[in-house]
This record gives sequence, C-alpha cells and structure tokens, in this order.
Amino acid sequence: MITPEGTKDILFEECIQKRKIQQKAAEIFTARGYNEVITPGIEYYDVFDLENAGIPQYEMYKTSDNKGRLVVFRPDLTLPIARLTATKLQNAKPPIRLFYNQNIYRNRKDMSGRSDETAQAGVELIGAKGLKADIEVISMAVTLLSSCVDNFRIEIGHAAVFKLLADKLPVSEDIKEEIRSVIESKNYAALGEILDELEPSSYVTALKRLPRLFGGEETFEEAAKYMPDDDVKEVLDYLEKLYNSLRKLGLGDRIMVDLGLVQRNDYYTGVVFSAYAYGHGDALLQGGRYDNLLQEFNAPMPAVGFGLDVDAMTSIMMADIKPLIRVPEILVHADEDYEVEAQIKLNDLISQGYKAESSVFDTREEAEAYAKEKGIRQVVYVGKDSEGVIRI
Amino acid sequence: MKPLRIALTKGRLEKDTIEALEKIGLDCSAVRAKGRKLILPVGNGEIEVVLSKAADVITYVENGVCDLGVVGKDTIMENGSHFFEILNLGFGRCNFALAGKKGVDFYEGFGTKTIASKYPNVARKYFESRGMDIRVIKIEGSVELAPLLGLSDGIVDIVETGTTLKENGLEVKEYISEISARLIANSASLKLRKKEIEDLAEKLEKVL
Repeated sequence: MITPEGTKDILFEECIQKRKIQQKAAEIFTARGYNEVITPGIEYYDVFDLENAGIPQYEMYKTSDNKGRLVVFRPDLTLPIARLTATKLQNAKPPIRLFYNQNIYRNRKDMSGRSDETAQAGVELIGAKGLKADIEVISMAVTLLSSCVDNFRIEIGHAAVFKLLADKLPVSEDIKEEIRSVIESKNYAALGEILDELEPSSYVTALKRLPRLFGGEETFEEAAKYMPDDDVKEVLDYLEKLYNSLRKLGLGDRIMVDLGLVQRNDYYTGVVFSAYAYGHGDALLQGGRYDNLLQEFNAPMPAVGFGLDVDAMTSIMMADIKPLIRVPEILVHADEDYEVEAQIKLNDLISQGYKAESSVFDTREEAEAYAKEKGIRQVVYVGKDSEGVIRI
Repeated sequence: MKPLRIALTKGRLEKDTIEALEKIGLDCSAVRAKGRKLILPVGNGEIEVVLSKAADVITYVENGVCDLGVVGKDTIMENGSHFFEILNLGFGRCNFALAGKKGVDFYEGFGTKTIASKYPNVARKYFESRGMDIRVIKIEGSVELAPLLGLSDGIVDIVETGTTLKENGLEVKEYISEISARLIANSASLKLRKKEIEDLAEKLEKVL
C-alpha cells in the first residue's frame, strides 16, 4: 500500500528541516505577541462556502458527519480562524494576534505534481486597520523569509485598484470576472480583446495597463499617468507609502509592487502580497488585508494576515542538504539480567549530552556487528564484570 | 545566473519560434543542428531551449522548471492555466470548430448530443456556455472517423484549411475560437526575472 495521490511520507532530514521552519515561525510570531491556535482538521462545508471565499467546490475533500451534514477537510486557514474569532473570542478585546502551524487539504488535478496536503505557518492580526498593522504583518513575513532563504522577492499590490476601476465599467459581473482572470494571468492579448469591445474611457485604458504595472519604484510614477479618479489615486498613495516604509527594512530590490495582483480568493480588500524564491515555481507566501470577512461570521472587524507554504520552503532548503540518517554516538548493550542497569547507564550518557541508542541484541558480538554496520562508533556494555567500552 | 529556459512545442511552433529568435539576433545554430538533443543553448548561453510535447510545455512551466514556454492556445484551453500568458505570438494560426456530417442539422431534435474530441475539456466548456449538456468521448487519433462511424453527432477539433473535413463528407458547423501560439511564463519566474523576460517578450513582439 502506498499513500494517496498528492500526499507523501516525510522522512528524517526532511522532517528536521520542516520542523525547524515551523519552530522558527512559531518563535518569530510568539516574540511579537501572537498566540497559537489549533483548529479542527474537519469543518462544516458552510465555513468555506462564502460568496467571495474563492475556494472551488471541486477542490474540497468532502464527507458527511453522522447526521448527514456536509463537512470538509479544511482547504484554508483564514476562514476557520475568522470563525473561531467570531465565536470563541467574541469577548476578546482587539487587536487579536493569532498564529497557526497546520495543514490544509485541496483535491488537486490528478498527476499535476501538486500536493493535496500542504503545511502552512501563518498569522492573522484581527481588529486592526491601517498602515501600522500592514507594516507589522509584512515586516514579520520578511523576517520569516529572511530566516530561511537569502534570495527572495516580495511583491505588494492592492485589491481595491482593480475593484475601483472595474466597478466603473458598464458591464456584467461575469465580464468583470473575465477581465479579472485575464489580468491575473497577465494575458495582455485577451485583455485587449475584451476591453476593445467596450466604449473607450479612462477606466478601460487604466485596466488595459494594469497587468503591466509591476516592478520597482518607477511603477508608481507610471501608474499615476493612468489612474483617473481620486479614490484610486488615494489607494496608490497608500501603497507607495507602504512600499517606501518597507524599503527601509533593508529589502532593496527584493520588494516589488504589482498592481495586477488580483487573486481569485477575493476576501482581500486592501494590501495583498506574495513572496517568491528561486527553486519554487509558485508563490511561497501569500497574504493580505481582508476587512469584510469577519462580518460574514457576524463579527465585523478589519484584519490582515499571511500564510507561508512550509512544504515549499522545506523543499527549497532541502536542495542544499544531503539526506542522511542520523546515527547515535553510542550503543548501550545489556548482558542478561542487567537490562535495568543498562537503561540507567543510557539515561546517564544522554544527560551528559551524548546521543545513545539501546541494544536489543542478545550477545555483545551481535551488538558489535550491528554497531559496525550502522556506523555507531562505540558500544558500551553493562554486565556482571561491570562496564566496558568497545570501540568500533 | 542560470540561463533563461524556454520550453518549445516540437514541430512547427518550434520552427517558427526559432525563426523569431534569430530575427532578434540570437544565435540558434545549436538548435538547427540539434540531432536528438532535447536541451540546447541559444545565443551566448543566456537562453536555453527545451523541446517537448505541447501539453508538457505547460507542465514544465507550471512547475517552474522552465521559465517560459511556447505553446498553442488549443493546448492552453484544454490543460488549464496556472501561469502567465504574456504574448500572442501570432503564428500557428488556426481555429477550434464544431464539425459534423454535411447537410445534417447538428441541433436537430431533443436528444443529448455526443461529441468526439481530442479536446474533451474544450468541448465540454463550449457547450456548457451554451447551456447544453453533451456526452463527450475522448478520441486520440483522427477524430473525423467518429461521426462517420456513427459514434458521435459531431466533433470539436482544430481546423486549418478544412480539407480533411471536406474529403470525408464533413463540414464546419460553427467556429468556437481562434488559436495561435502563445508565450507563457511561470508565475515566480516573471517576478524573479522580470527584466530579462520583459526584454525578450518586447523584442519578439517587434519582429512578429
């Protein structure tokens, strides 16, 4: 028997790397006043069935509970945390700072090589709006990324840019969605085709330009030429202010802006950001501001957060590491009737800082042969002629 | 810096792309004399060309082992799109069309229609957009056989000149969409190597 498509066993060195990342994340989050929560692996389907949750029904692993209610393996972590905040923490005084280290499950296309089970580490800062909160969360993301890889890029955008422009177009929601999806895939040709059919306006021109508006500082200047109204200009000014603040974190060219960042899971309402690194073909970390989401759970509050793909980060870090099986330094062997003494010796060696393993063999010769094969450098035996050391 | 890796769809798209790359001044002699090699240097080694089947171009780009790819819109429509589609290269032009037996009204009657196609997803999506449920049968080879043998009411396939259809007593019932070669980019690559990729796309756009 093997594991289901899209899942995998993780062994030894890879486990160590993965746990290190999770631990690092936990340390960084805890040090900044975030508290860990663990939500259930299965949730009611309804939690993820919101209008703008953007999780396709076919991507969710579904089953039913014993009353026939539809439940899913959680496909996302922000929505469960919104649910938890609206229930368990309804009397907590904001800001509420939460973090998680959990898996999500998605039923991916067969044989695509993408995982169905992904470990994520992330934070949610709930009940805080504005520049301070956005800077706090993004700079935490930067700290986390820097602690794992040197060569990454983080890009910021703003969900309102597209929304404000698209809402001015005299078109149906379906066409708006079509426009959004071709901007997302930077399909300049298709975008041109859709927009050329509309009556020319400054909004049409701006939308046409949107997917090309990404890069460094110069992007803001370029964007200013195309943005027609004060409301969009305000958003751009905010983004520029945020961009300049983040530059001061010493990010240099590693921070970019992309005004065409229009993800599908549009619970996002404000700043959105993604991080990329060499060695992984997709975003490593994604996040943003979602001020209307908690309202869906009857606890209207602004919020901002991000999630790191721990598995992707592990595989990037594993590229430089040779997988090996860690071998203990000492094998402790007990002669017959000295089993307890041997365990005491083992504990003693461990407390001195050694890595030691207990022998399960009957004779010293067998223990010695095993140590030789495994590469354990010495065997300590405990028996009637007291103790001794065999060096291998 | 690692070379920028471009996956090309073997065959005609490969030839057209190589021509375009030569037009912008890149030395493609290694590809011209490729033998059986599948990974070849272009220019002064700043670009590497990978030759593969159409659907695999998408797989390599989606997974980030190739930064760019050249692939037909037909393959993109059939195989999803977790990447950036940055340039319509214009060559490899043809059409997706619905075809059936000559002189027979495809929409006649109330029975559920059966469509044979090498592109089941494209066929399904097209009829879904028209609010029609259909039965789709995937065919690997000459799709024209299916209606002739009575397996299906029609086919959804790529049509260039329509000669094969005509010679087999079939005709185009309606065109579904235009197709041409596209330059696609991995989403992380476009962010990490923006300048290189944009420069190349801009140069290509000028010579098309």
